[in-house]
Amino acid sequence: MKIKTEVLIIGGGATGTGIARDLSLRGIPTILIEKGDLLSGASGRNHGLLHSGARYALTDPEAAKECIIENGILKKIAPHCIEDTGGLFVGLPEDGSKLKDQFIKACKKAEIPTQIISRDEALFLEPNLNPNITFCIKVPDGAIDPFELVFDNKRDAEIHGGTFFLHTEATQIIVEKNKVKRVLAKDLTNEDHYDIAASFVINATGAWVNHLLRYVGLKLPMALSKGSLLLTNKRLNQMVINRLRPPSDGDIIVPNKTVSILGTTSLRSEEPNDFDVNPNEVSLLIEEGAKLIPSVKSTRFIRAYAGVRPLFMSEKKVDDREISRGFVLIDHERDGINNLITITGGKLITYRLMAEKTADLICQKMGINKTCSTHLKPLPGVNRKKDLKDRLKSLDTSLSKKRTEILCDCELVEREEFEEVFKNENLKDPLDILHRIRLAKGTCQGGFCLYRLLGVLIELNKEIEEPVNILKNLLEERWKGIRPILWGTSLQEEELLEGIYKGIFNLSSPSSLPMEDI
Amino acid sequence: MRKGLMYFDIIVIGMGLSGLMAAKTAVESGMKVLIVGKGMGTLCLFSNTIDLLGTIPLSMEVEKGLYKWIIIHPEHPYSKVGLENIKKSFLEFNSIFSSHYSFKNENERNCLIPTPVGTLRPTYMIPNTMVPWNHQEEKRVILGFKGFKDFYADWIARRLNSRSITLSIPDLIRNEVTQIHLSRCFEKRLFRERIINEIKKHLQGEKFLGFPAILGIEDPYSVKSDLEQSLEAKIFEIPVLPPSIPGLRIFNRFKEWLIAKGATFLMGYQVTKAILKGKRCEGIEVSNAPITNLYCADRYILATGRFIGGGLKATSNSSLFETIFNLPVTKPKNQNEWFRKNFFDDHMIHEMGILTNKSFQPISNEGDIVLENIWVCGTILSGHKYLYEKSKEGIEISTGYMAVKSALEK
Repeated sequence: MKIKTEVLIIGGGATGTGIARDLSLRGIPTILIEKGDLLSGASGRNHGLLHSGARYALTDPEAAKECIIENGILKKIAPHCIEDTGGLFVGLPEDGSKLKDQFIKACKKAEIPTQIISRDEALFLEPNLNPNITFCIKVPDGAIDPFELVFDNKRDAEIHGGTFFLHTEATQIIVEKNKVKRVLAKDLTNEDHYDIAASFVINATGAWVNHLLRYVGLKLPMALSKGSLLLTNKRLNQMVINRLRPPSDGDIIVPNKTVSILGTTSLRSEEPNDFDVNPNEVSLLIEEGAKLIPSVKSTRFIRAYAGVRPLFMSEKKVDDREISRGFVLIDHERDGINNLITITGGKLITYRLMAEKTADLICQKMGINKTCSTHLKPLPGVNRKKDLKDRLKSLDTSLSKKRTEILCDCELVEREEFEEVFKNENLKDPLDILHRIRLAKGTCQGGFCLYRLLGVLIELNKEIEEPVNILKNLLEERWKGIRPILWGTSLQEEELLEGIYKGIFNLSSPSSLPMEDI
Repeated sequence: MRKGLMYFDIIVIGMGLSGLMAAKTAVESGMKVLIVGKGMGTLCLFSNTIDLLGTIPLSMEVEKGLYKWIIIHPEHPYSKVGLENIKKSFLEFNSIFSSHYSFKNENERNCLIPTPVGTLRPTYMIPNTMVPWNHQEEKRVILGFKGFKDFYADWIARRLNSRSITLSIPDLIRNEVTQIHLSRCFEKRLFRERIINEIKKHLQGEKFLGFPAILGIEDPYSVKSDLEQSLEAKIFEIPVLPPSIPGLRIFNRFKEWLIAKGATFLMGYQVTKAILKGKRCEGIEVSNAPITNLYCADRYILATGRFIGGGLKATSNSSLFETIFNLPVTKPKNQNEWFRKNFFDDHMIHEMGILTNKSFQPISNEGDIVLENIWVCGTILSGHKYLYEKSKEGIEISTGYMAVKSALEK
């Protein structure tokens, strides 16, 4: 199929989707292609921190400033995706307190408001906090749901004319006379081929930038850094808790809805798909996390996961248009391709700014004067019910009306909600629904509801391919996150689930099916 | 200490199938028996049917398969029990069930029964509410219920070449119904009549109707017979997700039998401490807050199950231990080695358990008896992989029986 558009965006993370929204609001036609579902990369694999910028105040003042500005903007345009928890930076006895004053000064310079609070006050706010902290500084950190944020960006882009092709991979970039003429792409779900002609092409593929650039023979100095995180079964803290020390592993605990997220490690990686969490990382995160909240040691974990950060190595000055050390915007005109732009690096919290700068560059190159409005217009969905508490309330008030069964008991996802999303979203891969509702995100991590999910899918869509195979794949996917944290209660639950799937359902691998080996 | 209310000949710790079987065996030998447990164990989660060794091909007589298995696997619990005693234990198990709810096998062989995802699963004995799956059978209907989220008739029917009907349940206050709730509904004649009328509207002459295994807790056979008469069709149950109503029926029958025969049945009580003196257990502390009591016996049977039951516990620093007597557990390795890369692989952790001698007494790695008046039975034993072997109930029944037989020889 031949398609024409003004701007083709490759990559459906927060940045790509943000660019689609920004350009659409400026009235510029866009198409976004993404080889998986939205948020398959680092955007969907982080701790969901709404940075205040304080973390970077000492090491990267410019990034810190960007963070605090974006922090304020996101609270206005996406309040439904944010829990404004506030954050604490605490000092531990072994770290000394020499960073304390420098930190406050640096925050002030970046215009990040800070407030020193007493140890007692800190323990009143956070009863689980290590009582041996030496000082405590309050900052405007918060928690953000990247999935809601990105899906709402997509919705708004679509409302304003943007088009999205998910599960569609770029397979070739054809350059003629210093310009990308066409991009060839393939739908991975049905093998449809697309031949896309665009005036401009934006590479927003995050950790995959060089995978794409190799189609035009270019390469950027990138470092991939794997960060692993641990999810607790219940929320241990109300505010974001940071350890004030030079950047290191395991120095943050972010509360997120009903859980807390222990972060993060940093391991150099060669592979953007390197999502394995190793046991050393797990024990390190628990050891370090317990220094902030001692009960981390006895808490139950529900999952370990990892994301790969795309870091731009900026030891040499690459381009005078480089915006900050936080993210990098490259006009490949410098490499002789006039209509190709790469945007990478950065943080979830600066996705909007990255999109704005990219769209500005496009407008400048197009020679038109259209200004950004993404910082002023709230995202669609600002009025959506927000968290588990609200869901519980709505269940309670719906007692009188007939409601449908709850498919996911951990996160209270009703069948009705599931069917609504399924019907409205027109998903290419029915399993993408897992990124759009809370199903399978709770304590059992889908142990029960993945079965129900498929049961309902079969009722809704008889054409679905062999459900037993899909179920097995989903369980293998789930296993990756569960395996590193199996002890205590999690192990008991795992025995239950193995009893169901290998026992009652008899889904074990062929090697242990009825045998000839006795 | 040796006399009085708190003194017993045998104390059985654990109320899953192995504990119940041990208590039954002890009662029948004329012992004064206490059985104490936190809950019903995994019996009411998984035990829809009685597995013995599901890996024996359908074409082979189970006895022949077991005979071979025992030769090749000398450390397996079955080898310690021995073929003759396995057979005896199954007779003992069957003896407490009446014709109204009883178990049978198919020509002394394993048979296949349908699962909630439309696969088939080998098992040995099935209750008389189930039938072995017959591929030749035609015109089958699988029945599901709207709002019963743990059973999808469409799914099963699609794989097993049948038709499916999903019925609405009359007069449901909420649109959600559980295994227990449905089972109780089916025990009511009035409810059944309404369901029967609904089903009749949808039937197209089919003579085999598959229901989820929720046809009543107390008297499922009568429920089934009533449905069969009214619908003029053969009815069979298909297991569903836990809780397992067929497992609950087994539990209830054992409980009723044990209490009638004079055993002391302490359910919901946790054993919090074992009092040891040298190589003997002198008593156990049993707690039901706020009261803690001391119970003593000559002999103790440990039937606490694996992780779900609470018999074994694992901590994050890769240690694996037995929770009441701290008995040695075989080969506890680094946590990273407990599990393999894929969920559906055979995981190492399932092979770990309590090491015993041929009489089911706990021993150290060197082979010395650790505690002289303790006998161990059920899935907590080492040397088996019940999930992969499909041998869970068989191990529980035979070792529960044998542990007590061995204990009484001493």
